Amino acid sequence: MGEEVRDIIMSHIRRDVMGNTLSKGIRFDGRTFGQMRPVTVQRGVITTAEGSAIATIGDTTVLVANKFDVLKPFADRPKEGVLMTNAELLPSASARFEPGPPDENSIEMARVVDRAVRSAECVDVKSFFIEEDKVLGLYMDIYVMNDAGNYTDAASIAAAAALLDTRIPKVENAKIVRGEFTGPLNPKVLPVTTTMIKVGSSWLVDPSREEERVLETKMTIGTTEEHVCAMQKSKGSLSRDELLDLIDIAFKTGNDIRELLKRD
Amino acid sequence: MGGKSDIQLIVNGKRTDGRGMEDLRDLRIEVGVLPEADGSSYVQWGGNKIVCGVYGPRECIPRHDASPYHALVKCRYMMSPFSSLEEHSRSGPSRRSNELSKVIREAFENLVIAEKFPNTQIDIYIDVLQADGGTRTASITAAAVALANAGIPMKDMVAAVAVGKAGETLALDLNKLEDNFGQSDMPIAISHRDRKILLVQMDGLLTKDQVIEALDMAERGCDKVHEVQADALKRFYEKGEKEKMQW
Amino acid sequence: MERTIVLPGEKIADGRVNAPNTFSNESGTYAAVVGMKDEEGRYIPLENRYRPTVGDVVVGMVTDVRHAGYEVDLNLPQGGFIPTRDVRLTLQLGDFVICRVKMVNEVGDVDLGEVRRLPKGKIIEFPSAKVPRLIGRKSSMISLLKDYTGGDIMVGNNGYVWISENSDMPLLLKTIKLIERKAHKSGLTDEVANMLAAAKGGPVRTREQIEGAPAEADEQRFEQR
Repeated sequence: MGEEVRDIIMSHIRRDVMGNTLSKGIRFDGRTFGQMRPVTVQRGVITTAEGSAIATIGDTTVLVANKFDVLKPFADRPKEGVLMTNAELLPSASARFEPGPPDENSIEMARVVDRAVRSAECVDVKSFFIEEDKVLGLYMDIYVMNDAGNYTDAASIAAAAALLDTRIPKVENAKIVRGEFTGPLNPKVLPVTTTMIKVGSSWLVDPSREEERVLETKMTIGTTEEHVCAMQKSKGSLSRDELLDLIDIAFKTGNDIRELLKRD
Repeated sequence: MGGKSDIQLIVNGKRTDGRGMEDLRDLRIEVGVLPEADGSSYVQWGGNKIVCGVYGPRECIPRHDASPYHALVKCRYMMSPFSSLEEHSRSGPSRRSNELSKVIREAFENLVIAEKFPNTQIDIYIDVLQADGGTRTASITAAAVALANAGIPMKDMVAAVAVGKAGETLALDLNKLEDNFGQSDMPIAISHRDRKILLVQMDGLLTKDQVIEALDMAERGCDKVHEVQADALKRFYEKGEKEKMQW
Repeated sequence: MERTIVLPGEKIADGRVNAPNTFSNESGTYAAVVGMKDEEGRYIPLENRYRPTVGDVVVGMVTDVRHAGYEVDLNLPQGGFIPTRDVRLTLQLGDFVICRVKMVNEVGDVDLGEVRRLPKGKIIEFPSAKVPRLIGRKSSMISLLKDYTGGDIMVGNNGYVWISENSDMPLLLKTIKLIERKAHKSGLTDEVANMLAAAKGGPVRTREQIEGAPAEADEQRFEQR
């Protein structure tokens, strides 16, 4: 029996046992419901990329690397650069991950992180225009290296840090001069996602892997300082009031993370 | 391996990066960097940054591949699309990564005591985050440490290094420039106690005498690499506190 | 003699010695996994992959119910099996059990007997090489944990540990993680006792009180299987 099937069967029992501890207002790892695990950020890890960062939330570790190439623009936006986001769940990151093409979870995560970055308009794609039919394209590669739960938020934190670390390469004769730069990308806003799950009647922020296995509803909300820039409900359902509460939590958690990012 | 070029790889007896013929580039190894995996390691060698995760022995998938006599050793070597200084490359396997996965697997098939775990598989996952010449030897060096960290029984440890020819001089641990413009490249993996050659490949032109000299150099190089592996494992198992990982 | 770390392939004895996690040839016996040599020069593995032996006590969960018997997840590549005829109680999918290994064959099949169902709780993974440390001499460590965290704990040689849902989960999980990290270091029992007493506000017991034996300069020996 594969782990997925076993999980479904076991989740009811696990949820029950977890509910026992949750009823005391605490989670298995000692956190309160609104508490995130410790977050660390390290910038400039990959020197072959024009910007990079590794973010950890607890043991969950995600690398984001940004690389530029000269590309053709999209037909409907001929004067704008392009942003392409891709995520890989490395098979060494979890016993669940198998090598192969991206599955629906990694695709969803890449699209949610991309949506937050794009909506926040923190990358000035208009400045990426070079000449007719040639623009700068930014590849944002998300590598989940260790999954102890909530790789989505770790990916978005690493993405924001990588944007802070990214420099625009020098372009000469419509070609990139590798190793030379015109200046920092300088994102004006820092979009960050906050993922919250519902177990029984409790909403928990930053689910651990164990909590992810018993969740009934999962909600990811991307924020900048003043706006909601992305929302994604995965499993389950929630009420209007619950959603508004979660938005408040997302702003608070997002702002805490933004403080951390600006400090480093 | 490139052809002739104007680049002088050896000037006044020193290489382009100032090293002597038998000096290794800076080599740093960390153990247990991926807590989810059964064993893991991180190798920073020159400009190479490689992470390795090991799982197993675990259920063999697909079932019909399984052997009732021993564990299957599987290996996936992959380069990230951001690993080179040049363009962003396509994600996914290439013919080169396919070949490297095979020869690396074949190195470890010699060491893993697979008969202890019939009907199972052992997975070695190697991801090159940043490449700078010599990724396959760095990968084997990383995988040996990750397998040890996973508690998978092995007959020996193994280290790997490449010997190349720059001009007419043999040199150890080629950097990217030397790899591209040198006259020969011979990556080799040698087991520590038994001195068995578990991987050897070669291109370019070498006389038999040069091969002999290269093998001697490689043994000395592998011993140095083994020191770093041993030190990394000792540091990991001696400390009780979890230190913050600096990538 | 000082403790040293031993790597796979290192010689640990001349001649052939039959010990787990080693291999031998005409020249001697060698470590097969990372381990350490203690002060008396004995080889103790620090990492290993558990291989079931007849008589071992194991903890698992029922993952399949068939006519012939139950399949049990033991954290091994293959599940263990409880033949229906060997057990009086009726088990269900998701039940936690503690049992004994009755049979192991060359292809890795494991049959289980002396089955007891465990009450509601949770199973965590713990490295099998360090299980003797978690149990402690005369079960001293595990008793300490049970006393302070208020619930029952069952440790399987296979590296699965069952914890009752009545336990103080966060404290117990944190303590078990500490034991895992520092298993081969001395002074662990004291450190654990202090940590538990601090968390619960009780008096700090000495090692003598915990283990009922005179304090020694050293700590646990691993029990080799």
